[in-house]
Amino acid sequence: MRGKAEKRSISLSVNGQVFAVSTYAHRTLLEVLREDLGLTGAKESCGEGACGTCTVLLDGLPVRSCLLLAVEAEGKAITTIEGLASGPRLHPLQDAFVEHHAIQCGFCTPGMILTAKALLDRTPHPTEEEIRRALSGNICRCTGYAKIVEAVKAASQVEP
Amino acid sequence: MRLPPFLYLAPRTEKEAVEMLSRYRGKVGIVAGGTDMVNRLRQRLVSPAYVMSLKGVEHFRGIESRKGCIVISAGTTLREVGESEAVSGTFTALAEAAGLVAAPPIRNVATIGGNLLQNTRCLFYNQSELVRRAASPCLKEGGETCVAVKGGRRCSSVYQGDMAPPLIAFGAEAVLRKASGRRRVPVADLFSGDGRHPFAIEEDELLTEIRLPLPKGTFASSYRKLRMRSGLDYPLASSAIFLSLSKKGVIDRARLVIGAAGPAPLSVTGGAALLTGVRPEEADPEGAAGQAFREAGAIDNLLLPGAYRRKMVKVVARRAVEAALVGLRGVGA
Repeated sequence: MRGKAEKRSISLSVNGQVFAVSTYAHRTLLEVLREDLGLTGAKESCGEGACGTCTVLLDGLPVRSCLLLAVEAEGKAITTIEGLASGPRLHPLQDAFVEHHAIQCGFCTPGMILTAKALLDRTPHPTEEEIRRALSGNICRCTGYAKIVEAVKAASQVEP
Repeated sequence: MRLPPFLYLAPRTEKEAVEMLSRYRGKVGIVAGGTDMVNRLRQRLVSPAYVMSLKGVEHFRGIESRKGCIVISAGTTLREVGESEAVSGTFTALAEAAGLVAAPPIRNVATIGGNLLQNTRCLFYNQSELVRRAASPCLKEGGETCVAVKGGRRCSSVYQGDMAPPLIAFGAEAVLRKASGRRRVPVADLFSGDGRHPFAIEEDELLTEIRLPLPKGTFASSYRKLRMRSGLDYPLASSAIFLSLSKKGVIDRARLVIGAAGPAPLSVTGGAALLTGVRPEEADPEGAAGQAFREAGAIDNLLLPGAYRRKMVKVVARRAVEAALVGLRGVGA
């Protein structure tokens, strides 16, 4: 006999702010971020974990929010692209992406920047090989990647 | 595509988890990292009444050195496996394989237990419900005949886990726990060989640990895989090799395992035999790889044709053996 799925009350810590959310366990973190919290920076593209446009940071590490149940993110620090800028001041990675034309349609950009942020937080001055390896799970269909790699390299040279 | 509704179970201990598996026997989908199961739910390949998350289970994550072995808890992420010095310092092929699974963000959450027990895959099965409904149900979906081999009575869905081949090459054991006790089985024996139900595990059993015996003396290992994009993707052919040397400098133990070439990883005993009893510089990687080619089963049910994948099994096997032979020489053999 199949029981009836019930909503669960969870609290999610997103970009330093705690949100009380009532949601079904079968909803993904991506759905809750976009639909309940209005944070539409993380995108759904492939919807199966292949492309990386839904990337968010979970305790500082990039993860696919389309493959993660929202209830599983409780107790973790979630960072979305909306959490990177300080007021009107963009994060150095965001500045570098603009400066180096690393954005075309922009759909992959939040995932690219968050993945790059996680890399620079662990490895402040990565080699090109390390940058390419870190970004290997994020697909861009516009830029050909060269500009993105250049932007990350440039951001790694900015002193915080 | 949304996930189907389910009741969510969040045990805090292994004991609670196995009690739940026993209570709701056959109705529970297990999520460790979730990277495989969420897609299976999304595609309605499974619609369990309950989904049990192992995220909150105590002591379910970590790598520990014990007497004569290292023990990897099933909930340890692939990133942790790949970056662990206890693993990479001794079990090179396992660290290599962990670093080659999918993409880095997947490895941040995907676990060694989930990777090991991932279901077999097939181009005709791992599709949305809409696509699957266009044909009659295949064997794996409960139908009468195979769709990939028209009229076939045997399911040839492919086991594409990256962890199993090196684990088998190292002679690893899995610890399975259920409410009434626990058992230890060689990782190779977890597999049934039947693509429809690829694991010889009871529905109320939980994989809790993987135990890797510490090899003695001089040894080396390696893992190689073929995939469409080096940044992502499941293996389309893979091979793991473990070699050790006797005190006289002769290879006294070889285990060659191939993956993505059938419903279970395959130990290529003929290939291993060719490598045994000779000095590393006299070993014949090509000959061993040829055995892998002969034993590999591959049909046209993944992104690349079966005939090509079999040829590539030979290539990845040869490269793995060559890398391990270099490793043996590198440690002063």
